[in-house]
Amino acid sequence: MNYGYYPGCSLEGISVEYDHSIRSLFAALGVEMTDLSDWICCGTLAAPSMGRLLGLATPLWNVAQARRAGYDQLITPCSACLYHFKNAAKQVKENGRLRAQVEKIIELPLDNPTPSIHPLELFSNNGFETRIKEAVQRDLSELKVVSYYGCHISRPAEVMQFDAPENPQSMDRLLSWVGVQSLDWPGKVDCCGAHLSMIKPDIVVEMCTGIVDNALAAGAEAVVVACPMCHANLDTRQEEIAERLGRPFSLPILYFSQVVGYALGLEAKELGMKKHIVDPVPLMLAKCRQRQVQEAAA
Amino acid sequence: MAFRQQIEAISGQNANLCYQCSKCSAGCPMAAWMDLKPAQIMHSIRLGREEAVLNSKSIWLCVGCETCSARCPQQVEPAAAMTAARALALQNGIQPGVKEIGLYYNGFISNMRLNGKIHDASVAGITQLLTGQLKDNLPLAWKLLVRGRVKPPPLPLGGGNFRRIYKRAMEKERGGEEVIG
Repeated sequence: MNYGYYPGCSLEGISVEYDHSIRSLFAALGVEMTDLSDWICCGTLAAPSMGRLLGLATPLWNVAQARRAGYDQLITPCSACLYHFKNAAKQVKENGRLRAQVEKIIELPLDNPTPSIHPLELFSNNGFETRIKEAVQRDLSELKVVSYYGCHISRPAEVMQFDAPENPQSMDRLLSWVGVQSLDWPGKVDCCGAHLSMIKPDIVVEMCTGIVDNALAAGAEAVVVACPMCHANLDTRQEEIAERLGRPFSLPILYFSQVVGYALGLEAKELGMKKHIVDPVPLMLAKCRQRQVQEAAA
Repeated sequence: MAFRQQIEAISGQNANLCYQCSKCSAGCPMAAWMDLKPAQIMHSIRLGREEAVLNSKSIWLCVGCETCSARCPQQVEPAAAMTAARALALQNGIQPGVKEIGLYYNGFISNMRLNGKIHDASVAGITQLLTGQLKDNLPLAWKLLVRGRVKPPPLPLGGGNFRRIYKRAMEKERGGEEVIG
């Protein structure tokens, strides 16, 4: 399989540690991917808010570029980019005249755009189970987390075609392969408020307070995420959330790629763990029992 | 074209399929802040209440989380209708119902036109400057900066592909050329 990589704008900016951990995890598991050249922003909600054609042409430029570069799948770690790629591709697939209009704008064919895939979907696939289990280097069996999927990993089902929209399991499954306890909780697919953090932080704080409250009530020591916006909102607003909650707390927010990578023996620094506002490293050190898998097996 | 049909042409969503079960309103995480709840937006579209919809706060508060679309028993996507309403409001020169969010969208597209990609720190900084929230966010900006999560803005050289797409798409849209629903 020839994988292209579309980091998206956040992973080149505020969420650079997600990018580091994804690249490190791919390398550790021996899965090669190449950066898509000439990519542009997916346009998120801003491009379709200017008009339908702009909202389709912007994301579709990227998946058409990926096809031209010969990629079978486009690895897309940001859930928002992923949704806009899949949604735009679905719309032009179902409507030939619309497709022709967009093709004229981007001057690239859209008869077979490269499908995009979230790295969580790739690695939680059963085909990786043995490879991941055998690569585990650190015992994290005392670490209790909740898996927070946010909005677009599996929603809406007709577009995303992955996992269950109301009670997804893929991240729980992947974390269980590396021995982490992923607890059941009711906040899995709640919305964090996304870009409103920049404009209406009070709304985002209220939404994130509910998520944190549920995570703490479930007994989580950390929240594991798969989207740069979920991470930013939960990690950067904890002082305000504590104020609203009426009690102090400190809850590390980790990307799934960081937790899996750490279990596979990668160092906190190469996984970008030192870049978070709430430092997750003390928790990981406290919960981790170094072991040599081979020795344990012997 | 009637308002309902305009929304349909942009979003592909047929508001007439909605039978007002209001699951969208019940699940919407933004409903508490909305003036018209998602089911009311859908009904208003059916009734042709163009002004009420296009001037509402709701269409700007929607963050596209798609909970409504995932739960709709009629396979309608209210979130897509909200996006279409934002596009119509902008095309008709209507002042966004939540001014700050309108400024954010504009700043976002302007930033994309510079470099094809967005520079997130610029988008956040400029939006917060224009909405008088920059000072509140400076401590956070500093924390991100010392952690190496704010990169310097790139030279505006790489936006050629997006600028070309933007020009062509907006010309077609503004030219009133039929956009197929």
